[in-house]
Amino acid sequence: MGLIDQAVDALETEIGNLKLNAQDAVEQLDADLSGAVYDTILTTKLGKVIGWAQKNALWPATFGLACCAIEMMAMANSRWDAARFGAEVFRASPRQADLMIVSGRVSQKMAPVLTRIYEQMPEPKWVIAMGACSSCGGIFNNYAIVQGVDRWVPVDVYVPGCPPGPEALIYGVIKLQEKILNNAGSDKARMRAA
Amino acid sequence: MNSEEIIEKLKSAKGDKLKDTEVTLGDAIVHLEPGSLHEVAEFLKSDPDLHFDYLSCISGVDYLDLEREPRFECVYELHSMDKNHSIRLRVGVPEEEPSVPTVKDLWPAAIYPEREIYDMFGLTIEGHDEQKRLLMPEEWEGHPLRRDYDLTREKVAFSHNLDFKEELVKEKVPTRYKPNQV
Amino acid sequence: MSVAEEGLLERNKDTMTLNMGPQHPSTHGVFRVVLEMDGEMVRSSDPDIGYLHTGIEKTGETKLYAHCIPMTDRLDYLNPPGNNLAFCLSVEKLLQTEIPARADYLRVIMCELTRVASHLLWLGTHALDIGAMTVFLYCWRERELILDLNEMISGVRMMTSYVRVGGVMKDATPEWIAGVKHVVDILPEKVDEYESLLTRNPIWMDRTIGAGVMTKEEAIQWSMSGPCLRASGVNFDFRKQRPYSRYQDFKFDVPVLTNGDVYDRYRVRVAEIRQSREIIKQAIENLPEGPYKVEDNKISLPDRDKLKTSMEALIHHFKLVSEGVKVPEGETYVPTEGPRGEVGFYIVSDGSGIPYRMKLRAPSFMAIPGMCAMMRGSYIADVVAIIGSVDIVMGEVDR
Repeated sequence: MGLIDQAVDALETEIGNLKLNAQDAVEQLDADLSGAVYDTILTTKLGKVIGWAQKNALWPATFGLACCAIEMMAMANSRWDAARFGAEVFRASPRQADLMIVSGRVSQKMAPVLTRIYEQMPEPKWVIAMGACSSCGGIFNNYAIVQGVDRWVPVDVYVPGCPPGPEALIYGVIKLQEKILNNAGSDKARMRAA
Repeated sequence: MNSEEIIEKLKSAKGDKLKDTEVTLGDAIVHLEPGSLHEVAEFLKSDPDLHFDYLSCISGVDYLDLEREPRFECVYELHSMDKNHSIRLRVGVPEEEPSVPTVKDLWPAAIYPEREIYDMFGLTIEGHDEQKRLLMPEEWEGHPLRRDYDLTREKVAFSHNLDFKEELVKEKVPTRYKPNQV
Repeated sequence: MSVAEEGLLERNKDTMTLNMGPQHPSTHGVFRVVLEMDGEMVRSSDPDIGYLHTGIEKTGETKLYAHCIPMTDRLDYLNPPGNNLAFCLSVEKLLQTEIPARADYLRVIMCELTRVASHLLWLGTHALDIGAMTVFLYCWRERELILDLNEMISGVRMMTSYVRVGGVMKDATPEWIAGVKHVVDILPEKVDEYESLLTRNPIWMDRTIGAGVMTKEEAIQWSMSGPCLRASGVNFDFRKQRPYSRYQDFKFDVPVLTNGDVYDRYRVRVAEIRQSREIIKQAIENLPEGPYKVEDNKISLPDRDKLKTSMEALIHHFKLVSEGVKVPEGETYVPTEGPRGEVGFYIVSDGSGIPYRMKLRAPSFMAIPGMCAMMRGSYIADVVAIIGSVDIVMGEVDR
C-alpha cells in the first residue's frame, strides 16, 4: 500500500508541475504577442486577401517564342481552359501584364529583348520558365541558345517538358498560385510590391 | 528531260566553263569555278529547253575535316516549274579567295541564302550590296558553321563535377550585348 | 540597333519608321520587321530574323542520324513528321533502300494528318489576327483530336519523331486506326462549318481580297512554294510531280487559284484540308499488311523480342545504337511537299554514322523576302493579314 501511495503522490506532483509549466508558457506567449497581435494579424490578413486577388487574376504577357508557345495557346483554348484559373487574358503590352511565361528557346539575339520586356513589366511580376529550353537550354547545348533563362531574369516556376502538355503548364500556374498565396502578407511579398 | 539529257545539253553549250559533271543517284550535278557561275546560271535560266526559273536553295559546305580542296563549296539547287526537272551546281570556293558572285539578278530570292552563307561561313558575295549578318547578332564574331568553330564553350555540369563548375565554364561566349546598351 | 540608325540618316524624312518588334502578338513567332510608313501606307519593309537561331544544323553534325531526328522535329514545329520524312528520304536515297508498303502508307497518313493539323492551326491564328476569334477556338478543338492520335501512336502530342530511317517507329494499333477513321468521318462537316463562318463573310472578303497580291512571275522569282505558289497560278506540287513515299497510289486534286491574294491563299489551304482528308481516307482503308520498317538490320533496329534469342539481332542492335547507320559517302537532296511548301534536307555524308552536313531547305525562309515585297504599297492593317497568309514558322526560318 505504501508503494501505491508513493506512486500516487509522485504522479500528483508531476501533474501539478505540468499545469504550472503550461500556465507559464501561456502567460509567456501572451506577453510576447500582446503588443504585436493587432498589427501582424491585420496586415497578414490583408496581405492574404491581396495575394488571393493576385493569384486568381494572373495576366500573362504574350511571349511565345517557339514550339512551347503552341502548347501555351492550347492551354488558353477550349479543351484545357486557362480561363478557369483567371489566366485567360493574354496582354500584348508588357505594361499591362504580370506574368511572363517564357515559352520556347531563347537565342543569344533574343535574350536582351527578353530582359527589356521583363523590365517593362510593373511589379509585382512573376516568371514561369516553360519547357526544357528556357529552364536549362533543353536539347540544344550550343553557341546559339541561352542555357537557361534564369541567367537573365529571375524565375519562379520551372515547367519541364519538350513541350510540356497544357496540363503540365496548368499545374505550373497552380503551383505559382500556391507560391503567391504562401508568400502573401509576408516580407517577401511586401518587398516585391515596393 | 532526264538528268543525262540535261547534262548533255549543258555540256554541248557551255562545256568549257564546267569543271566536271556527273549523274549520281539520278541527280544531275555540275561542278564549277566561281568565275563561271554567273554565265552558266544565266544560260540555264534563259535556255528554252532547260528553263531553270526557280531557285530552291543555296547551301554552304565546309570540307575542312574531309581535307578536300577547295575548302568551301556553295551548292545551288535549281528547279524548273514547267519542265519538272532539277540540277545541282556545286561551286568550289578556295580558302584563299573566299568569294562567290551573286545570282540575285537572275533569281531575286537569292538575297537571303547568300546573306546566310556570309553569316555562317564567311564567304563574301560579290555584287550583293547588303552584306550583313542574318541569323547571328550584328556584333557577333566568328562564322559558326565552319568546322573549326566550337559547338559550345560550356560543358554540362552533373552532380559529380558540380564543385568544378567554374572550371567548366571556360569563357563566356562573347555576345557584345549588355541589357542597358540595347 | 546600329543598322536602323544608319538607315534613318538616309531615309526620306517624310516617312515614319514603325518597328513591329520581335515580341508581337501577330507576327507568328519572333519576327521583326521595320516598316517605313507614309501615313497608313507602307513604303518599304526591312525584315530582321535570327531571334530563334538554334544552331540545329551545327548540332546535327555531332549526332548520329537517329539522334538528329528529334532535332528535325523542332525545326518546323508544326510539321514534325514532315521534317522527319524529308530527312529520312535523303538518308534512304543515299542508302538506296526500298521502304515496305505499310511503312510508306503509315508515313503518308501521319504526314497528311499533320498537314491538316497545321492548316487548322494556321486558320485559327490567321483568323484571330484579322479579328475572328470563334474560328480560333473551333479549329483548335479539331486539332486536339489529331494530337490525341499522335499521343496514341508515339507517346508525344507534338514532336512525335515517328518517321525513322528505314520505316516508322511503331506499328499502327487498332485503336489508332479507329481514331483516324473517326477523324476522317467528322472532318468534312467541320471544315464546312469554318467555311460558313468565313468564305462568304463580307468582312473577311473585304479585308482579304486584293491584299498582298503576288503574280505568277513574281511568285516564281521570289521562290515562294506550297500554297502561296499555287494561289498565284503555278500548278506545282511535289506529291504529284515527283512522287515520294507511294503518293502515286492515291487519287487527289491539287487546288490552284489565280489571283494570288490573301483570300486565294486561304481558299487554297482550306481546299488542301479537304484533299488531305481524301488521301488519309484512301490510305487507311487500303493499309497493306507487312513489316513497318526495313527488314535489313543494318539500317533499322531489330524487334525487341528477337534480342532474347538471336545473336545477330543483339549485335546489330548494339552496333546501330552505338555507332549508327553507316551511310555511304555522297550528297543528295530530296524535295518533299510540306504544309508550307518545299521541304528538303541537303545531306552530305562521309561514310560514318554521323552526317557531315545537314542543311534544311526551309520554305518560310525563302518566302520572307517575297513576303516583304508583298507588303510594299499596302496598308498597315494588311501587313498583319499578309504575314498570316504566308504562314511562316520562325523555327525553320532561323534553324
